[in-house]
Amino acid sequence: MRQLTSGALLDSIRGVHWPARRVIGGAFQGAHRSSRVGSSPEFMQYRPYQQGDDPSKIDWKLFGRTERVAIRLSHDDSSLRTVVVVDASASMAFPPDSLAKWELAASVALGLVAVAHGDNDPAGIAIVGGGGTRSLPPRTRRGTVANALQLLLDTTPGGSAALAPALSAVRNGRRVALISDFLGDADALLDAARELVASGREVYAVHVVAEEELDPRSGGEVVSDPEEPALKRPLDASTVGAYRAAFAAWRDQLAARWRAAGVAYTLAITGEPAGRVVRRIVAP
Amino acid sequence: MSFLAPAYLFAAAGLAGLVVALHLIATREPATVPLPTARFAPDRPVRARTRTMQLRDVLLLLCRAGLILAAGAALARPIPASSRQPLARIVVADNSSSVADAAAVRDSLRALLSPGDALIRFDSTAALVARGTDTLPGPPTSRTTGSLSAALVVALRTAVSLRDAADSLELILVSAFGVEERDQATDSIRGLWPGAIRLVRVAGRRDSSAPRTPAFLGAAADPLRYALSPAPNPAEGDVRLVRATPTGADSTWAAGGPRTLVLWPAAQTEVGSDTVGAVSAGDFVVVAPFARDARRVPGVGRVAARWLDGTPAAVEVRHGDGCIRTVEIPVPSVGDLVLDPRFQGLASRLTEPCGTRPSFEPLDDAHLAALAGTGRSARVPARAMGRARVLQSPLAPWLLAAALGLGLGELLLRRKRAVALAEAPS
Repeated sequence: MRQLTSGALLDSIRGVHWPARRVIGGAFQGAHRSSRVGSSPEFMQYRPYQQGDDPSKIDWKLFGRTERVAIRLSHDDSSLRTVVVVDASASMAFPPDSLAKWELAASVALGLVAVAHGDNDPAGIAIVGGGGTRSLPPRTRRGTVANALQLLLDTTPGGSAALAPALSAVRNGRRVALISDFLGDADALLDAARELVASGREVYAVHVVAEEELDPRSGGEVVSDPEEPALKRPLDASTVGAYRAAFAAWRDQLAARWRAAGVAYTLAITGEPAGRVVRRIVAP
Repeated sequence: MSFLAPAYLFAAAGLAGLVVALHLIATREPATVPLPTARFAPDRPVRARTRTMQLRDVLLLLCRAGLILAAGAALARPIPASSRQPLARIVVADNSSSVADAAAVRDSLRALLSPGDALIRFDSTAALVARGTDTLPGPPTSRTTGSLSAALVVALRTAVSLRDAADSLELILVSAFGVEERDQATDSIRGLWPGAIRLVRVAGRRDSSAPRTPAFLGAAADPLRYALSPAPNPAEGDVRLVRATPTGADSTWAAGGPRTLVLWPAAQTEVGSDTVGAVSAGDFVVVAPFARDARRVPGVGRVAARWLDGTPAAVEVRHGDGCIRTVEIPVPSVGDLVLDPRFQGLASRLTEPCGTRPSFEPLDDAHLAALAGTGRSARVPARAMGRARVLQSPLAPWLLAAALGLGLGELLLRRKRAVALAEAPS
């Protein structure tokens, strides 16, 4: 957890903003352009009054000058409640000696919380592991990032837990970032993400992959799934090629499906600095 | 230590080597390492055969190899090493009446026999006298006719028993090789000996076929005179033929030496007589309507002639140093039966001295060559002789018991190992 505690991560993402991917509607003042016609002094355009429009929005001065009944449209900046959902299952505790996957996932999560918090967006975090879900509701107050850091530091990845229910339970977030290796309930997770997208939420998927998973050692060992110990496969020189091909095909298919669902998909490989990953995620 | 079936031992050694190789090329499960993406590896059997230069499960290997070797050794039937001699002789000595001088046989045996050789003596029967000793027993003389067939049968039996005691066998026949010693089975039995036979010929007995003339005490016109050839000599000899009632002097004469008193009464009454069609003595058979007096039967003794119905017609008994032969065969005074060669032969036979041996005639060269067989050497490999008995290996039961124990040990070790594997954390 060296990246989390060193402060280098927060330094590397200082000044980084996480703009909304599209115009959103929101009741709270924030940094993101809202689709709502609000009281913002920034004029956008006039639109002829239509039945159903709020009469209070009619620009009476314009009516006095031109006798046209029109309403004034202007941009309204809204805040974006952001929830970062982190997978803390046993598959994230890999490699066993360095836990590089978990460290990258936790660092990216902390970075996203910090960026959102820096944009004055309420930011929260939910860590889903074998012991259940530990969450921090979206907040804008000080110490949110520190609280998120402490929550991450207190978490030890392990066990097997379904992410989809936790993702579906996100009701108070307009922007949801999911950080996982997607080796669990990938299909159910995708369905939950589709529902979130359909409800107007922005969904980000950060796929964490370990370098050792991309290029495993082929020393004739038997590899086993940490979440399914009964699943054992031989991995030697004769099978590692097929393994790489199958894994690559699965990653490509996964990215295509999530992107098709309207999710911003980002592949994060251990070894890449977490700050750089965060920048890639938040880049518009 | 030698093995009766060493092929089993070789096979067991090969199998044990295979077991060792299998322990080197063992099926084992390689080390398991966690990999979250293990599902993308091809689904193949986890257990892999790997070669290693380090033996695994040494105790189990020892049990298995020991089991195989012990079972193989038991099947190979080990026997303690025996002192096999390069050559064993089977010397067959003639002890029959065909041999003229028993000392000649003894001298031959002294020259031939070595320690460990087998000595067989035969006359009408044969028996193993000595084996494995250097004691040379003196051959007793036998008055019976020898049988080469019987001698060869015992020699073959002895050869089989010597099969495992010597590398080569040699059969030596010391005999006079008379015609009378050979019969129709001799050639067939000789064919069972896989090699040549060394023949050592000793002198046969003197020819006793020269006709002897008995002293005839009877009437001058007695028709029996004409049946005897050559004509009876009134002079005193070894045989006295009395046609009248014998006297005490006759009896004393017979008991006084190796003499034969032939009592062949001439007076035959017709009262109570019956007729019988034939009489035989030795090889002589005379067929004629003999008028036999049923009341006159010879006494108890060795039967020298029999009627056709089996009743004795002539018997002889020992009497002192000689013998008395009583003949109750009527000699017809009419007809020419006495001139019949068969009757003459019968008469000559019945007037021979007691215990007269048949004439000696040596085997001709053709029969001797057939008996000796072909081949430059009379030595034959001992293994050429058929196995007479199944040799029992004293170690085989113990080796089988050891194999059984090792098998049980191997089973227990495997069970213990399986339990340990089941209890080990995955």
